Amino acid sequence: MRSRPLTQTVQQRSKILTQIGPYLAAVLAAFVVVGILLLLMGFNPLRAFQTILFTSFRTRNNFIQTWLKFIPLVFMALAFTIPAKGGKFNIGGEGQLIMGAVGAAVVGILWADAPAFILLPLVLLAGIAAGAFWAFIPAILLYRFNIHEILSTVLLNFVSFSVIDYVATEIWPDPLAGHPTTTPIGAGGNLPLLISSPPLHSGLLIALFVALAVYIYTERTSAGYELVATGANPRAAAVFGINTKVLFLLALVLGGAMAGLGGAVEVAGVHHRLIEGLQSNFLALGIIIGLISKGNHAVLPFVALFIAILEVGASAMQRTLAIPVEMVFIVEALILIFVLLSDVVRKDS
Amino acid sequence: MQKENILEMNGIRKRFGSVVALDDVSLSLTRGEIHGLLGGNGAGKTTLMNVLYGLYRADGGSIAVAGKPIDIRSPKDAIDGGIGMVHQQFLQVNRFTVAENIVLGTPLQNQLGLNLTAEKEKIRELGDRFGLPVEPDKAINSLPMGIRQRVEILKALYRGVKILVLDEPTTNLTPQEVDALFSSLRTMVQAGLTVVFITHKLREVLEVCDRITVLRHGRTVLTLNREEASEEAFIKGMVGDDLDVEQSIQFTDSNLATQVAPNSDTAVLQATTLTVGSDAVPEINRCSLSVFEGEIVGIAGVAGNGQLELAESLLGLRPIVGGEVVLNGRNIQNLSTRDLLSDGVAYIPEDRWQDGFLAKANVAQNLILGLHRREPYSNGRFLNWSQIFQQCTNLIQEFSIKTQGPTDTAGNLSGGNIQRVMLARAFSQPVSFLIAHNPTRGLDIPSMEFIYRQILRRQEDGMATLLISENMDELFLLSNRIVAICNGEVMGELSRDQFDRYELGRMMSGVKQSA
Repeated sequence: MRSRPLTQTVQQRSKILTQIGPYLAAVLAAFVVVGILLLLMGFNPLRAFQTILFTSFRTRNNFIQTWLKFIPLVFMALAFTIPAKGGKFNIGGEGQLIMGAVGAAVVGILWADAPAFILLPLVLLAGIAAGAFWAFIPAILLYRFNIHEILSTVLLNFVSFSVIDYVATEIWPDPLAGHPTTTPIGAGGNLPLLISSPPLHSGLLIALFVALAVYIYTERTSAGYELVATGANPRAAAVFGINTKVLFLLALVLGGAMAGLGGAVEVAGVHHRLIEGLQSNFLALGIIIGLISKGNHAVLPFVALFIAILEVGASAMQRTLAIPVEMVFIVEALILIFVLLSDVVRKDS
Repeated sequence: MQKENILEMNGIRKRFGSVVALDDVSLSLTRGEIHGLLGGNGAGKTTLMNVLYGLYRADGGSIAVAGKPIDIRSPKDAIDGGIGMVHQQFLQVNRFTVAENIVLGTPLQNQLGLNLTAEKEKIRELGDRFGLPVEPDKAINSLPMGIRQRVEILKALYRGVKILVLDEPTTNLTPQEVDALFSSLRTMVQAGLTVVFITHKLREVLEVCDRITVLRHGRTVLTLNREEASEEAFIKGMVGDDLDVEQSIQFTDSNLATQVAPNSDTAVLQATTLTVGSDAVPEINRCSLSVFEGEIVGIAGVAGNGQLELAESLLGLRPIVGGEVVLNGRNIQNLSTRDLLSDGVAYIPEDRWQDGFLAKANVAQNLILGLHRREPYSNGRFLNWSQIFQQCTNLIQEFSIKTQGPTDTAGNLSGGNIQRVMLARAFSQPVSFLIAHNPTRGLDIPSMEFIYRQILRRQEDGMATLLISENMDELFLLSNRIVAICNGEVMGELSRDQFDRYELGRMMSGVKQSA
């Protein structure tokens, strides 16, 4: 890819400014609203915001915690945005992540003795395959029977809860854990650490690499263009030779693969075993990140990092100031609402 | 007879956002006249009448009926004031009968029994009086467009309107139906009604109107009696300085010297007994058709008689169930749309907004749709954005697309500019065969002129064109041959020296050409 002409770059620079402006305004507005709420509840909003925003940068441990949060959020956001580019809504990232984790754990436990250079790739691939399979079910229902993907992806989340429960309590339960948990996967299946204390695993590199690859796919390739065109107007895309039905299927399956990889990375990098509840609230956060970045895969990692910072700050806020973490969830939701609102306002003006 | 003004509209203004649709427009109607409201698309004719009918609120100006000021806030106010309007898109309930559609919303004689005997009688009587015969018990969706339009007119007459506004009433009619409509209008004005006839077709206003008002860019240009004015005055009024009338191909026949008969005997398209749809209900039925190199073949037909199906089957978008289509020497049966597009087939869809346009994407993404795997836009895998931007910037200039640039959101474009995008995309690669479906619908006169010129220029280079159009003037202007279809069947064919509106109209309404 050659560099663009100078005028193009200048034009783009001013465009970036006009694009970032509404985001900043939305963040500010969200904090103002929540600040008022906190005041009414009798808390000191300035201290709360300080905690939310700066905890991540106070200690080395918090800093690494933030990046550990960032990793699954990137995968879950991509699980939502790739199908969304093609005009399909994948609300099943949670189930796909769980199934990816299950797939990874099954392989990691069954072939526990295999050497790392075999087991680690297998664990990750199993996660990708299981997540993709879990998305393939709604995709094929859509392709063959025109069943709406929102419904089928959401419902499959609930099925996955039972699957992880069964694996963690019936097949390989760890009797010493007080919570449905499997025995550990083989050491060869663990992701190598980038920093050993506190531990930061190399899943970060995978997440960044995948985010970059998805950006290149959607923005720079002809195949990615077909996905974008399909999302913009499937009818017109089909008239001009794009096989939109197959693209819908592909987009959902790719999304599922993202979530599945996210699940496998959680198992191989963080828990080293399957733990019920490892999906946390990543689904909702992933969707929020995807919506805030409005399908722009260049800004998605930055949004994910920002949300990760808020999340880490939120738990600290609850610990030190006794303010419920839900307040941060309100902040995140408000940011989203204000970002979407800024679109409406701009369209009207 | 003393002529009195039944309607006065004075200084009407209407803005939509930053667009001024009507700028100080005045119109007066004399009782018992057919008043033509003439202008290109976007001139403000329909907007003005929508203000009169209470669908839009004017930002300024006044309306008076029979000398008395009237405040029209809704269509109900308009009807109460004696004003009725027939829109281009009919507002009818498909499953209801003719009578039910007409009486809908009016007080009934027999409220409880819902038998419409008295109402039906009144409808029959109105129909007889104005030459608009209908069968009150027929279901609306079983009727052809000409009859459905009668129902729409009767709906207004039934409500006792004194002023009837018809918005582009001839759009979907055959010439025979147009004649019948015109004679009904005559009967109506003789009975004391006043008719406003909105159109962009000069020929029609000259044929039927008593007085004519020309609008352009939301302003009244002139109002003249039919006898006082020359055709040229109206043309000048319609196009103003937007177009050099002397050089135009639409208004000056001699400029059509470019329309020469093709001297090639190479068939680009050869369809033999093409059948599309199911055997029981064929959408295209045993249709045989050929288009030679450098030839423009027009397809004439009333809307919905298989035009879309024909276009889409030739593009590989609909399965061909019978017959054979050879395009550029290849049978298209097993070719995908993508294969056909890369084989030099270009398509300008009728419904540009739905079938050809990515409103959410940017202009560049629209211009490369369908060409996105080919040089120079792509090496097959990766897009070359710098090339794309450069090419698109050139196209924007060449086709005078009004936009801020390739990265501008496409949804911001106006209808005429969207159509220029369709055209630029179709012609940005070498084209051997063009399928153009109603390529100028809804466009203003200069844009139409532009599109005709572009097609004619490619024709000189040998491009074969299938021009599917409901605009007969357009077909007569551009085509070497015209094929008439009805119910998906070919009814006959006329070569340029045989062109005749009524002959074509007969075939369009289902009468096979006599051998």
